Amino acid sequence: MSSVSPPALCALLSGDEAIARGAFEAGVLVATAYPGTPSTEILEALTECPGLRAQWAPNEKVALEVALGAALAGARAMASMKHVGLNVASDTLVTASYTGVRGGLVVVSADDPGMHSSQNEQDNRHYAHLAKIPLLEPSDSQEAKDFAVLGFELSEQFDTPVLLRITTRTAHSKSLVRLGERTERAAEGFSRDPAKTVMVPAHARRRHELVEARMAKLAEYAETCPLNRIERGDGRTGVIVSGIAYQYVKEVRPRASVLKLGLTHPLPERLIRRFARSVERLYVVEELDPFIEGQVRAMGVKLARAPTQARTGELSPSAVARFLGVRRRKSRAGAADLPPRPPTLCPGCGHRALLTVLKGLKVFVSGDIGCYTLGVQPPLRTMDTCVCMGASIGVAHGIEKVSGRSDNIVAVIGDSTFVHSGITPLIDVIYNRGATTVIILDNETVAMTGHQDHPGTGKTASGEPTHRLLLEDICRAVGVKHVSVVDPYDLRSTRELVRAALQRSEASVVIARRRCVLLDRGRVRRPFRVDAEQCVGCGQCLAHGCPAIADVTPPGSRRKQVRIVPELCAGCGVCAQICPEGAIVEAASGE
Amino acid sequence: MSRITNVAIAGVGGQGIILAGDIVAQAARSAGHDVKKNEVHGMAQRGGAVVSEIRYGKRIYSPLIPDGEVDVLMALELLEGLRHAHRVRAGGMVIANELRLPPAVRVPDSPEYPDDITERLRGAAENVAVVPAAELARRAGNARAANTILIGVLSRFVDLPVDAWKSALRMCLRPSLLEVNLLAFDLGRRRRKTAKR
Ligand SMILES: Cc1ncc(C[n+]2csc(CCOP(=O)(O)OP(=O)(O)O)c2C)c(N)n1
Repeated sequence: MSSVSPPALCALLSGDEAIARGAFEAGVLVATAYPGTPSTEILEALTECPGLRAQWAPNEKVALEVALGAALAGARAMASMKHVGLNVASDTLVTASYTGVRGGLVVVSADDPGMHSSQNEQDNRHYAHLAKIPLLEPSDSQEAKDFAVLGFELSEQFDTPVLLRITTRTAHSKSLVRLGERTERAAEGFSRDPAKTVMVPAHARRRHELVEARMAKLAEYAETCPLNRIERGDGRTGVIVSGIAYQYVKEVRPRASVLKLGLTHPLPERLIRRFARSVERLYVVEELDPFIEGQVRAMGVKLARAPTQARTGELSPSAVARFLGVRRRKSRAGAADLPPRPPTLCPGCGHRALLTVLKGLKVFVSGDIGCYTLGVQPPLRTMDTCVCMGASIGVAHGIEKVSGRSDNIVAVIGDSTFVHSGITPLIDVIYNRGATTVIILDNETVAMTGHQDHPGTGKTASGEPTHRLLLEDICRAVGVKHVSVVDPYDLRSTRELVRAALQRSEASVVIARRRCVLLDRGRVRRPFRVDAEQCVGCGQCLAHGCPAIADVTPPGSRRKQVRIVPELCAGCGVCAQICPEGAIVEAASGE
Repeated sequence: MSRITNVAIAGVGGQGIILAGDIVAQAARSAGHDVKKNEVHGMAQRGGAVVSEIRYGKRIYSPLIPDGEVDVLMALELLEGLRHAHRVRAGGMVIANELRLPPAVRVPDSPEYPDDITERLRGAAENVAVVPAAELARRAGNARAANTILIGVLSRFVDLPVDAWKSALRMCLRPSLLEVNLLAFDLGRRRRKTAKR
């Protein structure tokens, strides 16, 4: 039986869980985050750890500021977010580089090459350059943990925030990690030092000098940093590589010499030159932007001629093989004639009910980011813009300023997104005398990222009860005179309220409140069924795209035939209200 | 022992793919292998297509299975099996749950759900086992143990000791579900009809 006993103190962890573990072992006292795929599980894992505070912030900027405050008070602190979250927090990040820290501060950016669940695929390594802070790029879970621990040490040693950058593939891959013990570190508390922590110009000028000096010291450190190492291979081909790309290079070219960089900003120039001299053909393999390649070229180091690397999408072993000229077995193409299976709103989702109403009203929908963005898909197709979190309200207001009309456009925003960055644009609407109609889709959770709590749910990340932020109170407080709350399952009332709001020459907010069905699973509702006698086959029930309503029309038939799949039906009754013939009825019990 | 084993699990969000992948990865780990497992699960709950990949052996680098190197594809649903069948290596195996779940969203102008998936799977891979997993799971006592039936079938075609599988089930499942799943695992493992052709 000895073959089945795993090595002691070793666990199969995702990159996210490993970072959480690293933070725990490093003695972190405060961890904050705003959810965002693929970073969410870092904070979720930390809520299970004793001896520290792990909390959700309303947005990433606040998360980073709370972590910075904790670090200035001498604690080790961490803020984690997805790549676009760092855009929100970037104002804080760039000047936190000037203030520096007292306790170690690690900022985790989880990038999403390939956009598995994001609106862009920006390469956040540029932020390290912009903010002039060290950048660490782990390539598996063991490194994710080790780099997190080292990140706190570097942060304290060099008095700087440290950027720990992972990608979806490192965040969500699991590999074996050796676990260590937690080292407790007490925080000495905040002590006054305005020249360091009050960034007025006079102080900031001095701090900027120190930042530049720090970069020079870090560059020196990078030359001997244990995270940057040469793995000698056959000596002819050399590859400079960081992050997940390292694993792909080792996979397809195990005998190449590799300069594996874990600290990728600032770069170790002498080490790179030494490595370049030791090989005949030198390549840089990286995902997304030529962050390292550009700097290596600027050093005047010559790279081998190779096919251009794609600057879009995710790398793969095959893509790396192609780039390095490694011949591999030709792979077969997948079947081209298969129906795609995109994600969709769940049966019984309140968002679908609300979007169905908007579809009927034929309004322009200035959208936002959350589950409801899926409404852009057929058959609903009720979303006309979606840019980034919180953009819906400002964009609607801008369109209205040009068209001079507010009766044909609504802004649609989720509850968590409203708290994240929807309040300020609502203030703008009121301040600038707009008449925008804003619909808040309040499903009482952050559904898209897997049901986290937020200030509007009345519960903290670790489940303690707290003040519940009432969205209607906020809207009234900023000066919206017409605020109403409706259950979107009630199509008629919802339609009337939205229609009245559109007609009004003042701003209105309609809060469509219906708890996410996935949270309400315990509640049993009776499914609906189609009464074949009454059904005229108009197909209107299919037009709102509920997965529980199956189109079972025989081929060639003009008259639609539908069936409600009882195992999928959530019993919301929205389709029964849509059916003009009253042919959709509640199933009798036991049916 | 330098050989690496690559297992891919394909299915529909909500079918329990991530848990099934965890069980396979834990089994490999219990047997003392280096293991990497990956999946993209941002949209896992919204009924989209989901894949989990598990690789084990002496030393694993890429968490992604390179093109055309899948040893065993375990499909929790037929269409999702066919979607990945081309990734199976020559001489590889497909274990497919005999379940048809048409996509919830019908993308306009997209093809119909194919009728001939089993035949096409047989064309794509040398060894194909189509398993009535729900029916077998019901026999084990709970239709929801269908994935464990498939894992039981899988266990006959990859080289891991049976104790490793059982310890993985124990690690990954709630105690209240363990008994029925151990039964389901045995049912799948003992299934005769899935023998290699
Ligand atoms: C700046 C930024 N942070 C995080 C995310 C990830 N994200 C996408 S939607 C979403 C929240 C959605 O919550 P809510 O608005 O309540 O809508 P729901 O999904 O519950 O319908 C988050 C956190 C993002 N896209 N951008």
